[in-house]
Amino acid sequence: MLRLNLLQHRHLAACLPLLLAAIGSVSVPAVAQDEGNLYDTPFDVSAGESYFQRQCTRCHGQDAKGNDETGAPDLTGSLRRASSDAGIFSIIRQGIAGTAMLPVPIDTPDPTVWQLVAYINSLRTDPANIDLPGDPAAGLALYNGKGDCARCHMINGRGGRLGPDLTLVGEQLDPEELKTALTVPDEDVAPRWWTVRVTQRDGSVVEGLRMDEDTFGLRVIDADANLWSFRKNEIDSFEVNQSSTMPSYTRTLTENEIDHLVAYLFSLRKEN
Amino acid sequence: MKRTAILLLVTAFAGQAMAQQLREAPITPAFTPVSWDRLMNATDEPQNWLMYSGTLDSQRHTYLDQINRNNVDQLEMKWAYQIPVIDRAETTPLVVDGIMFITEAPSNLVAVDAVTGRQYWRYDHELPDDIRICCGRNNRGVAILGETLYMSTLDAHLVAIDARTGNVRWDVEVANYASGYSKTAAPLIVKDKVVTGIAGGEFGIRGFIDAYDAETGELAWRTYTTAGPDDPNVSTWSGDSWRTGGAGTWITGSYDADLDLIYWGTGNPGPDWNGDVRLGDNLYSDSALALDADTGDITWHFQFTPHDVHDYDAIQVPILADINFQGQQRKVMMWANRNAFYYTIDRTDGDFLAGKPYALQTWAQGLDADGRPIRAPGMEPTYEGVVVSPAIGGGTNWFSPAFNPQTGYFYVNAFDGEQRFFKRDEDYEEGDRFTGGGGQYIQAMDTYNSAIRAIDPATADIVWEFPIQPRSTAGIMSSAGGLLFSGSVDGYFFALDASNGRELWHMSLGARVHAAPMSFAVDGKQYVTIAAGNVVYTFGLRD
Repeated sequence: MLRLNLLQHRHLAACLPLLLAAIGSVSVPAVAQDEGNLYDTPFDVSAGESYFQRQCTRCHGQDAKGNDETGAPDLTGSLRRASSDAGIFSIIRQGIAGTAMLPVPIDTPDPTVWQLVAYINSLRTDPANIDLPGDPAAGLALYNGKGDCARCHMINGRGGRLGPDLTLVGEQLDPEELKTALTVPDEDVAPRWWTVRVTQRDGSVVEGLRMDEDTFGLRVIDADANLWSFRKNEIDSFEVNQSSTMPSYTRTLTENEIDHLVAYLFSLRKEN
Repeated sequence: MKRTAILLLVTAFAGQAMAQQLREAPITPAFTPVSWDRLMNATDEPQNWLMYSGTLDSQRHTYLDQINRNNVDQLEMKWAYQIPVIDRAETTPLVVDGIMFITEAPSNLVAVDAVTGRQYWRYDHELPDDIRICCGRNNRGVAILGETLYMSTLDAHLVAIDARTGNVRWDVEVANYASGYSKTAAPLIVKDKVVTGIAGGEFGIRGFIDAYDAETGELAWRTYTTAGPDDPNVSTWSGDSWRTGGAGTWITGSYDADLDLIYWGTGNPGPDWNGDVRLGDNLYSDSALALDADTGDITWHFQFTPHDVHDYDAIQVPILADINFQGQQRKVMMWANRNAFYYTIDRTDGDFLAGKPYALQTWAQGLDADGRPIRAPGMEPTYEGVVVSPAIGGGTNWFSPAFNPQTGYFYVNAFDGEQRFFKRDEDYEEGDRFTGGGGQYIQAMDTYNSAIRAIDPATADIVWEFPIQPRSTAGIMSSAGGLLFSGSVDGYFFALDASNGRELWHMSLGARVHAAPMSFAVDGKQYVTIAAGNVVYTFGLRD
């Protein structure tokens, strides 16, 4: 069984294609003046949530984390199509041309849209509001030293290719999710980081990460980062293992060290 | 000043378009008008695909056999037509004497040469800015009678269009879009009428099936699909909940000329996931209806999911066939429902003949002798959420199944999914969503099984399955060449052996397939067409 140090959280992997798709998009011109949201009290957030539950959850999901089936993006992390309240307002008001994102009904009052903006803002974890027990600098040392994380993960183009890129992981996972990924890595493994064992017709076996599987084929990355492609009707059999290849760090790091590592990973965001 | 300038600019562009239309005056080659007699005998001219499901019995089976098990691996792409508006294509084109009619998102129609894919004319339906649609800007196809095409539009209109030129003959408002009504399905021609359904089950509409005079656009009859005060079954709705009870009719039905009955499926009761405000069976939601073709009267009904709280629409194309059932020849209707049960029903009277799950389900313990589900306890949506199979998308959904008269099998794209179902309290407000809850996947899509499953309608048993990863939302076409054609969300278009599900050919088209295949022939050459992403592809054998 291939064992690698990986951070393989489903939310991270699930977000990436949509977020990447959004990078190249044309930004929507803001029609609202960006003078801040006057409707951002707890009452407004609650009203915005009610509206969201009714009008938006079919595509964006009950938890606003997006939906592979509808193609709707995760709204709980950084938003690539809007960087301000006015930008979010405009997307809600105008929709996004060429996508399934429709505008709200034309008679929806502006305060309702602003309440929706307030609710969407409330979904994101503002790092300024979080006081973490760990020390990011100590976490960095652990990342490169005892944790040996760079063997499998890349940050800013440096590191291994056998785990998710962590350059912006602080925007994609909150501290609790990061801690779970380090301590209970089997909890929520994205399919990209499952493993597969392929038995070929001559009896030889290829084992590695399940890069992708479709109706007719399988692609596997072995421990040396070699890519193997198979047609399903040309192999003897294959088995998929949905557990993580990353070991739990509860065995190798102390609780304090895990806190440091979480603090470092949470600091990995665009503004840093 | 600025507004005046913009107005002038818009007027100038509109004028340009009109001038271009006048200059070009596009027209298709002449074709023999498609009479009702031709539609009733569509199997006699398999070179044409004359209606959404191919024939009135909706078997989606082509009698062309030039492309068959022995040569399907020699298929190659002949042409591709790019749909200019980017959205997802769910269309099944029609072909009449070498002319193909393709509907596009949001509510447009184009006529092309079926051999080359080059355009003759196009019709762009003007839509208001604030249409209410639940699930994407889709259109699934048109109907034809004589030289006129009939198309549903997202603003809940029915439009009659001259098939030679694309000019509008008439345009009627079927319902008020601002209240949440919309139209996406291909109409069905029955005699001299255009029979058509309505969408909007997520907006608290009151569903119906309409028939319009094909010549004038005048409403001939309307049958509501939530029982009102003039129907004793109004007692299956608590209070006035039938008024906002949904039961949309958003996929095309079928017709049996011998029985003179129209068969049509109905969608979920509204609100979808909170049944507390609409106690009772909620007839005729989630039902198969048999309607008198001349009056629209409901001759019989069969409700698959009484008091549905999971959005298990009976929005599937009813497939009609005469089969041997327990030693007797029976006129049956075959139906793989969104609720994950397959049913064989006597289509003369609606009697339940056989039924079993064809996909993973946890909401029912089984079916009783009448085909009514025996509910499993604890499966109703809650405020906190409860995990139930199938998922909201169902064991299958609207995408077309198929029947092959040679193998005697019914084929369906099946999905073994699960979701966490929630309910919430919600008041009805006209034009707003009225769903009372929702659902959430709890695992990655790759976790679930999906497959094309072949079912023996005499036993309701699954005969074979072809696994699909991760799943399919495409229709299936069967062929006299012993083939099944279908597609998948991983962007493949493929052919299987209809007798055993063996893979024979596939090609990656690079985008999700949401449409159903169809087949036609021109000058003795058979073609197969499928829409994937925003492109319509046509394949034929290598020359």
